[in-house]
Amino acid sequence: MLRKMLRDMARHKTQFVSIFLMAFLAIFIYTGVGGEWRGLQKSVDDFYAETNLADAFLYGNGFSDGQVQAVKDTPGVSVVERRLELSAVGDLENKPILTLYFVENGEISKPFLAEGVAFDKNNTDGIWLDKRFANAQGLKPGDTVGFVANDTRLEKTVRGLIYSAEQVFESGSDTLTPNFADYGYAFLSAGAFPVPEMLTYTTLLIKADDRMDTGRWASSESGADLESRINSESRDDLESRLDAALNGTYNVYLERENLPSVSMFNNEIQQHKMMGDIFPVVFLLIALLTLVTTMTRIVTNQRIQIGTLKALGFKKWVIARHYVAYGFFLAALGAVLGLIIGPITLPYLFYPSMSGFYTLPEWKPAYDVSFVLMAIVLIVLCAAVNWLACANLLRETPADTLRPKAPKSFRHGLLERTSIWDKLGFNVQWNLRDSSKNRIRALMAIIGVFGCTALVVCALSMNDAMGDLKVWQYETINHYESKLALGEATTQEQIDDIVTQVDGETIMEGTVEIRAGSNKKSASLLVLDNTTLIRPTDVNLQPFDLPQDGVFITQKMATALDVKQSDEIEWHIYGVEGWTKGQIAAIYRDPVNQGITMNRAQFEAYGMEFYPTAILTAKNVTESKAGVDSITLTADSMAGWDDLTEAMYIMVYLLIAAAAVLSVVVLYNLGLLAFTEMEREMATLKVMGLKSGKLRGLLLTQNLWFSTLGFAFGVPGGIWLTNIIVSLSGDEFDFPIWLHPLTLLAAFVFTFGLSVLVNLLFSRKIRRLDMVESLKVME
Amino acid sequence: MSVSIIIHFTHVTREYDAGTHVLKAVDDATFSIKDGEFVVILGPSGAGKSTLLNLLGGMDSATSGSIMVDGKNIVGLSDDTLTEYRAAYVGFVFQFYNLIPTLTALENIALTKQIVKDPIDARKALGLVGLADHANQFPARLSGGEQQRVSIARAVAKNPVMLLCDEPTGALDSQTGIMVLELLQTMNRKHGKTLVIVTHNTALAEAADKVIHMKNGKICDVTQNPTPKALSEVNW
Ligand SMILES: Nc1ncnc2c1ncn2[C@@H]1O[C@H](COP(=O)(O)OP(=O)(O)OP(=O)(O)O)[C@@H](O)[C@H]1O
Ligand SMILES: [Mg+2]
Repeated sequence: MLRKMLRDMARHKTQFVSIFLMAFLAIFIYTGVGGEWRGLQKSVDDFYAETNLADAFLYGNGFSDGQVQAVKDTPGVSVVERRLELSAVGDLENKPILTLYFVENGEISKPFLAEGVAFDKNNTDGIWLDKRFANAQGLKPGDTVGFVANDTRLEKTVRGLIYSAEQVFESGSDTLTPNFADYGYAFLSAGAFPVPEMLTYTTLLIKADDRMDTGRWASSESGADLESRINSESRDDLESRLDAALNGTYNVYLERENLPSVSMFNNEIQQHKMMGDIFPVVFLLIALLTLVTTMTRIVTNQRIQIGTLKALGFKKWVIARHYVAYGFFLAALGAVLGLIIGPITLPYLFYPSMSGFYTLPEWKPAYDVSFVLMAIVLIVLCAAVNWLACANLLRETPADTLRPKAPKSFRHGLLERTSIWDKLGFNVQWNLRDSSKNRIRALMAIIGVFGCTALVVCALSMNDAMGDLKVWQYETINHYESKLALGEATTQEQIDDIVTQVDGETIMEGTVEIRAGSNKKSASLLVLDNTTLIRPTDVNLQPFDLPQDGVFITQKMATALDVKQSDEIEWHIYGVEGWTKGQIAAIYRDPVNQGITMNRAQFEAYGMEFYPTAILTAKNVTESKAGVDSITLTADSMAGWDDLTEAMYIMVYLLIAAAAVLSVVVLYNLGLLAFTEMEREMATLKVMGLKSGKLRGLLLTQNLWFSTLGFAFGVPGGIWLTNIIVSLSGDEFDFPIWLHPLTLLAAFVFTFGLSVLVNLLFSRKIRRLDMVESLKVME
Repeated sequence: MSVSIIIHFTHVTREYDAGTHVLKAVDDATFSIKDGEFVVILGPSGAGKSTLLNLLGGMDSATSGSIMVDGKNIVGLSDDTLTEYRAAYVGFVFQFYNLIPTLTALENIALTKQIVKDPIDARKALGLVGLADHANQFPARLSGGEQQRVSIARAVAKNPVMLLCDEPTGALDSQTGIMVLELLQTMNRKHGKTLVIVTHNTALAEAADKVIHMKNGKICDVTQNPTPKALSEVNW
């Protein structure tokens, strides 16, 4: 029996190899990507735990001992610690920006030591430097670094190289991809501050009670769940209690999950998780489908053999075992190989590019019991599906099995009772009957094409969206070449000076909290000062003129706050006390910043002080100027954008490849199944004198019907899939997804091209159809 | 009456590669059949009867020799030309009917519209075999004899020159079998179709114009029957 199995397998080589491959790929990707993101999750969780990352952050203009005590006494708070965050410019050739943390105790959000000696809160002449920055600059423990902060020059000795759990994603730089030589951070003791009496703590680090720690802070929860939960109860709770304790004398309250680094990394993990969940399902489906079609084919062809075996006295279960073994062994072999190879290869493919964006002390895949469970599920499913494919035949009596297959009884459908039926023509009649007789096969074909279309549409529209976004951001909205970020200490004379020098325009950017009814959101603020280099776009992404008065809000923010034109909203600028009320005068859309915009006159009419944070100019400014912190060139930003899309393209290609595999395998297998079932009928028609071309037409018609249906459902499916992926890219992005006609055409050509291609594979089969052989089986 | 020869086999051989040796399923067959003749092919199992019939029907290609049908040699024709030949000349009747299960009786016959330009009207053909009131039944709802009659109607509807039948009564009881044979004979006598039947039933030979005996692929005897009996007179 084993020899028979091997011989059968050799005869159906392609099918069995594809079953094995699909089983392998399903488990390989599931465990590979699963090991990858679980590894990230575990590393980052360990990192957070080990460094005792704060659960919440309060930012203000200086926290006194009394305030610390008040926070400490707030229910739900267990430990509090202060630090001063200060931006400094390094005394190095490229003038890197350094964020300095002067820490009080170093118990919460501790630095993670990678090299050198551990952080010491009593050491006053040492500095613990961001390891990636140090590596990029070639700095080692023992070196001396100088930097200027608040017009004061400091010099410290590097004691250790460290990582910070708040800087898994270094959000300090203006470019999208972090440049480790341009930006870094460092830990110092509070005593290292040059004039200790002048030290004002800007940040409160808060650890919540253990009681609240369970569940609430567990980062393994999906972002959406977590956010809604935090939104609904705990955040408001703790925040309002802190607010009461401090009498509102702070600027920003931020929870760990909303820290840019944490939320960025969380989103990243979610994206990988989704990829790791979707692809294996696709491959699993293909494996099962191939298995069903192949086994049905084999069992049908071996009908007489099976009957003979039964008549010879073989027990049913022996025969069943024999046939189930086909699928079982292949699935088991593929699954086990995937289980072994997946986690040790795939993660290491991702990690190098990931580490260009993120910083973790350790990059190591993690294992999970679900890997083994998934493999078992796959094997069991394959065996079960396999059994189902042969079960009918085995249940019959040997005599029935030996007799040729009785034609299925068939009833007239609804359509056939109408007079239209007779006008439909033979091809249509045939195919309507055939597909209603083989509903499962039809359904599988439609689902296959649906999946293929959805993947292609998703890949292409994502591709389009990236391109659209670039045009929208850098051609429609932004008309400046350089953006000069101003330092906090920059004087009005300096600003006026630069404006005349570069023929620039000033803007003010900031962060605000917006309130509308019971909704509250953190958002961006932009104040325009007769700015012509930024052209806002309306909801249709067309440039338009904003009114003079009132507040303008982005569409996405308006939706999030559930407000519309001429509604009233309240906001308060972080760092400034008190809420301001204003009426929405216009709704606009922006790709990367969600929040509000207003004109300077209106802003000042609300009683607020306009202070420029950046100067925009159409000139290319390269040399640095006094009072300017950093210069961002639009050309550089665009290049950064291209880098980012580079990674997207890989995903796009992967999706398209998966789509092609899916559709070819599904359609070919179903075609094969249909062909097996119809072989006799085809041979009969051929004997009667129906030409091969017409026979091909029969199969093609069916194929095209299924393709059309699958395509029709697949397009919305693809858009839906794209929206899900896009929604994972973060709150601040507004990706307009709309299907370009050309994209739709491309998806159409791709899907139907494959469908016709698969059909061509059958034309040879039809031409070669051996009528004598096909009809002999029964004679 | 003077009848022309419509089919002529000359030294026709069909070889199969049987691994160790070459098996001649049909070995050097030479004979002819006249237009409108009723021919019965007899012989033990494995004699090559089906193979011979398939060669004549253009379902199989001869290894050597020539098969002239209506003045044209059909040996070595391309797949499409052979298909055209089958469409125009041949009506097949199989042992197991081979009706399309998803098409009704009438639709099975109406299929011929796809194949030839002006077939006999499907309803009329169904009437010829006495099944006019079963037009909308699917094959699974018909008895074996009824299915075989539908398949004969389907073969006849194309209005072919010859009807080729491979054990048409093999799956039927003798009573039904005789009915089917009578039908076939009517097609021959009344409608002038050349009729070739492969059978194991030697009694049928009494009703045929010509009997071809085969053994081991060879034609061992061709007898002309000067006085063919009516089927009702045949001693089954
Ligand atoms: N495809 C094939 N390959 C090899 N040998 C074949 C093939 N088809 C038929 N044969 C052989 O050719 C010979 C004639 O077969 P054929 O089917 O014509 O016999 P038959 O006279 O119709 O027998 P029966 O009365 O049992 O139907 C047999 O010995 C058979 O083994
Ligand atoms: Mg035979």
